[in-house]
Amino acid sequence: MTMSAPVQRPSLIAPLFALLALMVLVFLAAVFLGVADLPATDVAAVMAGHGSDQAKSIILDIRLPRIVTGILAGIHFAVAGLLLQTITRNPLADPSIMGISQGATLAVTIFLLFAVYIYDPGSNTLAVLPVAWLPAIGTVGGIMAGGIIYLLAFRLDLGPLRITLCGIAIGAVLHAAAIGLIAGWGSARIEILLEWLSGSLYARSWNHVLFLLPFTVAGLAVLPILRRSIDLLRFDPPVARSFGLSYRKQLSVVLLLSCALAASAVGAVGPIIFVGLVVPHLARFLAGKRFALVLPFTVALGAFIVTLGDLLGRLLGQTEEIPIGVITAVFGVPVLIALLRKIP
Amino acid sequence: MTALIVATGLLVVVAGLLVGSKPLGLSKVLSVLVSPDGKIESILVWTLRLPRSLSALVAGAGLAVSGYLLQALTRNPLAGPDITGVASGAVAPIVFCFVFLPWISSVYHPFVGLAGGLTAASVTLWISRGGRGRPLHLALGGISVSLFLGAITTYVLLLSGPQTPSLLFWLSGGFQGRSWPQLLYMTPWVAVAVVGAFACQRVIGMLALSEHASIGMGLNMNLWKPILLVLAIMPVAGVAPVAGPVAFVGLVSPHIARLLKPQSTLWSIALTTAIGALMVVTADVIARSIALPRELPVGIITALLGGPFFVYLVQTQSFSLKGGH
Repeated sequence: MTMSAPVQRPSLIAPLFALLALMVLVFLAAVFLGVADLPATDVAAVMAGHGSDQAKSIILDIRLPRIVTGILAGIHFAVAGLLLQTITRNPLADPSIMGISQGATLAVTIFLLFAVYIYDPGSNTLAVLPVAWLPAIGTVGGIMAGGIIYLLAFRLDLGPLRITLCGIAIGAVLHAAAIGLIAGWGSARIEILLEWLSGSLYARSWNHVLFLLPFTVAGLAVLPILRRSIDLLRFDPPVARSFGLSYRKQLSVVLLLSCALAASAVGAVGPIIFVGLVVPHLARFLAGKRFALVLPFTVALGAFIVTLGDLLGRLLGQTEEIPIGVITAVFGVPVLIALLRKIP
Repeated sequence: MTALIVATGLLVVVAGLLVGSKPLGLSKVLSVLVSPDGKIESILVWTLRLPRSLSALVAGAGLAVSGYLLQALTRNPLAGPDITGVASGAVAPIVFCFVFLPWISSVYHPFVGLAGGLTAASVTLWISRGGRGRPLHLALGGISVSLFLGAITTYVLLLSGPQTPSLLFWLSGGFQGRSWPQLLYMTPWVAVAVVGAFACQRVIGMLALSEHASIGMGLNMNLWKPILLVLAIMPVAGVAPVAGPVAFVGLVSPHIARLLKPQSTLWSIALTTAIGALMVVTADVIARSIALPRELPVGIITALLGGPFFVYLVQTQSFSLKGGH
């Protein structure tokens, strides 16, 4: 991220405006393009409020909720990544590295396995699976994993470095337990879990949007209030305290916020890796010295990248769509490697 | 100390012969061991339980040596087959071969794993500048490489359809149904690494001082680093096709060995190997006896044993995180 500082500050509006235009463009492309070949005129007709029933159901019940879920989830991951990176002072913090995604995975796994046994041990059909519960269960699991890390961090008074390592270790244990449970007990339900595990926006409905929206609104509303403490949490505890920050309390609040954002997104769409990691860095790169823009850029880019990734996955894979987690992994890795090499 | 651990390991192997979905008495097992007679007990012991326990023993030893070599090589307490991405690097191409290239005989899978593991390790080491930076750097690089490969593996599994359940069991590490052929097939890979580690003990001892010091003592780094890296990855490549990635053994065994304060490099290699073997055999016995008649993957047990220990290790203040220099 070594960009020579511009001699005169360009206006704040231009980059944000360009980003917004790009977002609208991708959004429109995501609405217009898809596996079902709808002519552009049909799509336009539906957008205008009329059009055939079939086109209406494809656009309004399949494509739109999916895109909106993706946008919300992207915002969640990106903001959670930014917060985690700030408070652990580790440029590589991410919900998947800190164990939050793995906690959600384990919770969803346990829930699916046991729900199946309680409902009907003999059935192999998908219809009886309580899929609607998955987002809530995943959220609870992710927050619990965050809670374990939080407890370790405070009981033992660990520094940011050791918190990260504990996160890695806890994530690995939870992941092993989840995979083990799937292998030991799973049977016909493995595919749902696998699909969920690789992060997918397939068949996401307005229910998912309604589930995510309160978290998004609450999270984004709280952020301006927390801005000062987030800025101060960047420093060592003594320094932050000397600025009058009640370090523990604020750290807990911010950690909880990032856990809730990440966990709800993981619950709804599965662990989409690398978004939380890469987006804040891109935002910082674009914002340059204008620190006030980092957060808006993070939000916008999170939404943009997930929408674009999902569109790519749908178009490249055609009927067998490629899960978005795979797309973000493939495109995120080069960015990540470049980043890691830059860190001294 | 090593003798004690080896003795415990052998005791666990014998205990492993007794337990199972059909428990056997000690005298029965001993008589069958001495004179196999083709009856059901004899088959249970000779073709199911004994080779399986021995496989676990060999796999554990291999993973532990791999962790030891990686930690010595990078002078980094966090190095291990899992955290450097070596394990997922070995697993991802093997899964790919299982699903898309089924005509490749499983004899070649260790070579595929070796190539994958080497590639993943090189990427991780390149990211972290040979592991000489801060230990966290190596861990983060390795975790990112693992996450990436994990996403690819999951996607391949999604495409594989009916084979998924068996692949998944393998992926979480397990010794179910492993018999003599698998044991024979895995042993040379592990043996080469263990013997190689013993042969290189002088070099490893010098590396433990510092890189500059070992160059000063006339060590050719450009020659020895790749040799040690290949030695470290070989057992993982050999064990992965048989048992899958068994989590945390490679990372934790060298640290446990260090807690026992071995006097020389030779002894710490021996101790590490013995501890790894003991850990996996014990985990295997637990995995197949705790939830009868079901069977848990060994990976769960080692993760549940090794993970908390690792967290404990991280928060002890003596655990140096300052990096090699």
